[in-house]
Amino acid sequence: MTTTLHGKRSTSASGTNTAVVTHGTIALRNLEAQIEGLEPNSTPVLSRVEERVWLIDLLALRGSILSSIADYERALELAHLLVRDAPTEAAAFLARARTHAVFHRFRDALDDLDVAERLGADTESVDRERAAVFQGLGRYEEASAIREEDARRCPSFESLGALSTLCAELGDTERAERLHAESVRRYRGVSPLPLATLDFQLGVMWMHEGQLERARDHLGAACRYVPAYALAQGHFAEVEAELCHFDLAIALLIPLAATSDDPDYAAQLARICADAGYPDDARYWRERAAARYDELIAVHPEAFADHAAEFWLAAGSDPRKALPLARMNLEIRKTPRACSLLSRAIAADEAAGAWCVAQPQPSQSATSAANERNMQ
Amino acid sequence: MSDHFSGPRALADPAADLTDLYAFPAPHNPQRLVVVMDVFGKAGPGAVFSDAVIYRFRFRRARIAATGPGAAFGVDPDEVGFDITFDVPGGDGTTLQRGRCRVPGGETVSFSTNDDRGGTGRGVRVFAGQRSEPFFLDVHTILESAETRKLAFKKVGSDTLYGTNVLSIVLELEWAELLGGGPIFAIVCETLRKGPRPVRIERLGRPEIKNVSMSFKTFDQVNRDLEIRDLYNSEDAFALLPDYVSAYRARLNANLSFWDSLDGKTDWPLDEGGNHPLTRLLLADFLVIDASKPFQETSYFEIERAMLADRPHASPGGRWLNEDVMDSIFTLYINGGNGPRINDGIDAPIAWSSNVFPYLAPPNPPKGQGS
Repeated sequence: MTTTLHGKRSTSASGTNTAVVTHGTIALRNLEAQIEGLEPNSTPVLSRVEERVWLIDLLALRGSILSSIADYERALELAHLLVRDAPTEAAAFLARARTHAVFHRFRDALDDLDVAERLGADTESVDRERAAVFQGLGRYEEASAIREEDARRCPSFESLGALSTLCAELGDTERAERLHAESVRRYRGVSPLPLATLDFQLGVMWMHEGQLERARDHLGAACRYVPAYALAQGHFAEVEAELCHFDLAIALLIPLAATSDDPDYAAQLARICADAGYPDDARYWRERAAARYDELIAVHPEAFADHAAEFWLAAGSDPRKALPLARMNLEIRKTPRACSLLSRAIAADEAAGAWCVAQPQPSQSATSAANERNMQ
Repeated sequence: MSDHFSGPRALADPAADLTDLYAFPAPHNPQRLVVVMDVFGKAGPGAVFSDAVIYRFRFRRARIAATGPGAAFGVDPDEVGFDITFDVPGGDGTTLQRGRCRVPGGETVSFSTNDDRGGTGRGVRVFAGQRSEPFFLDVHTILESAETRKLAFKKVGSDTLYGTNVLSIVLELEWAELLGGGPIFAIVCETLRKGPRPVRIERLGRPEIKNVSMSFKTFDQVNRDLEIRDLYNSEDAFALLPDYVSAYRARLNANLSFWDSLDGKTDWPLDEGGNHPLTRLLLADFLVIDASKPFQETSYFEIERAMLADRPHASPGGRWLNEDVMDSIFTLYINGGNGPRINDGIDAPIAWSSNVFPYLAPPNPPKGQGS
């Protein structure tokens, strides 16, 4: 049985949220309308720092919903311009720190946060941003100290949701669910975007735990909140593939892979097509993903090292390319997932090396093809 | 867009973010009263109303309860409300929405957005859709004035909202029939989250209370670190909870005194309790209109100024779309009308509103596409 993605009313996976929220289509359309309304004014002459920060955050938000790397890049570009134009404004550095973190430039993000604090940003705001960076870096104790204190001092939708997300990443599933429910209970807004984001995080948590039905519930809820939530749709498709619902997974992924500038969807599609016995399709999407990963690694190596390494280990079938990326990823962030990725990359690289030693030296493309067969 | 960005929570959904309220007698029909609620400042062309929000106008009969330094309104406990709601637009990328206005007595007036004719019912006409932003101001010089503690207005300012659009709801109604008497009414608009128990998201009455009058924290010695506006937004305009009134009062006293100081003299001496003479009237945060008076171009706060001066008012009060309300507010706050009119350097919006329904000018083309 499969879960329908596009229900009418927005309800969280746990069924605890009965709040009426704006239809996801309207929310996304209005997010775009906000960006369209602010973007032409994104200059120091026409716009206040507050509005420029807002535009940067809106672009990053749209990037996260639609998996639009172009939006993330535009946000970073605007953040650099804002810091240039307003070098004494703490808000400018806070905004740039957030966009640096999106691109996994955690060191730069922490530096910007230090500057923001020196420029007078209030410590609590800066610490909340630091917690997000620490989480990205795998410095969970520091992140946890800030999140716990924030939630204790001011138990709000935002603080409890952030703590739920941290618990999810740490694998504390029971607490993550409990905090999620409590966070949603406190939500007073009408935008579905924050609720969708929270459900997405829990969906990913259950995926990592191997609890696919629960993952599907949360990811399905996220998609019901915002039908165009690409990241949630992509993960939902992954879960369906894990449950051997290959055709549904492929149907969900094709429009994402065809339109997104994020190669993750093409990478997933390549893997699932291969698993489902569609080698020609798998090859097509693999080449498409490979080309895009190469482009992105050239410009944003920190941001895409982990996903590119995952790709080269799986559908990309080139462990030699995966290994340096996995190493780079672990240098950037000391998370359990980064360690696991490197271990797998080393193992795959050694296996590929052993296989190569035993064979006459073929051309590189032949090696890839052979690796692909081997992987399959 | 006098109330835009008026609190962190309101930013979460722009379609629930109130920017302005206007109220004026219909220019060609004194039997009718017009109220306008604007949301979604700087709206891009694709902006639409939320299907999860109730857009509400609330009317209460009001009277002048006291004049002179203790000027105050008396407001009836009973009220008349108009709730406007919207459907989800079609799936073809259109911004067209079906809307409904629930009129007291149970009638529902249906309409389509962006239809200049609006929808009509008994004694009521409703329009909703994207229009040119009628409000105009130079935010940069306001912020600079607060930062430097000197008036920073230029002879020719820069309109922060030039060429931008808002989502507007225009309600024109037979006031004597639908509002049950009058002729003085207190009016607020609200956005509420739908549900069995609707939750207020924002409320709005007078222009620039939450921003120009309340947002600056630096002058407030009582609650310097408090972001007061979300709290303020969640309150019932006609029944402030006693718990936080002193916080609002302290903020207004401090900020109004700051504005008063900018011309180097004190036009609004504080009373023995440290209260600014305008604080009480401004905390009655609703537009007050006398529907029996004929339409006037400039009338904001005229009723209140007459009350303070202990004389009869001469205008309908309320707020007309084309009024340079920032100049009116700055003149009121800075010299109390005891000096020349304060000019912030912006004297007009990109397009004037007309005096026929739906009053507000059509939306401006997106920037970069010419006009």
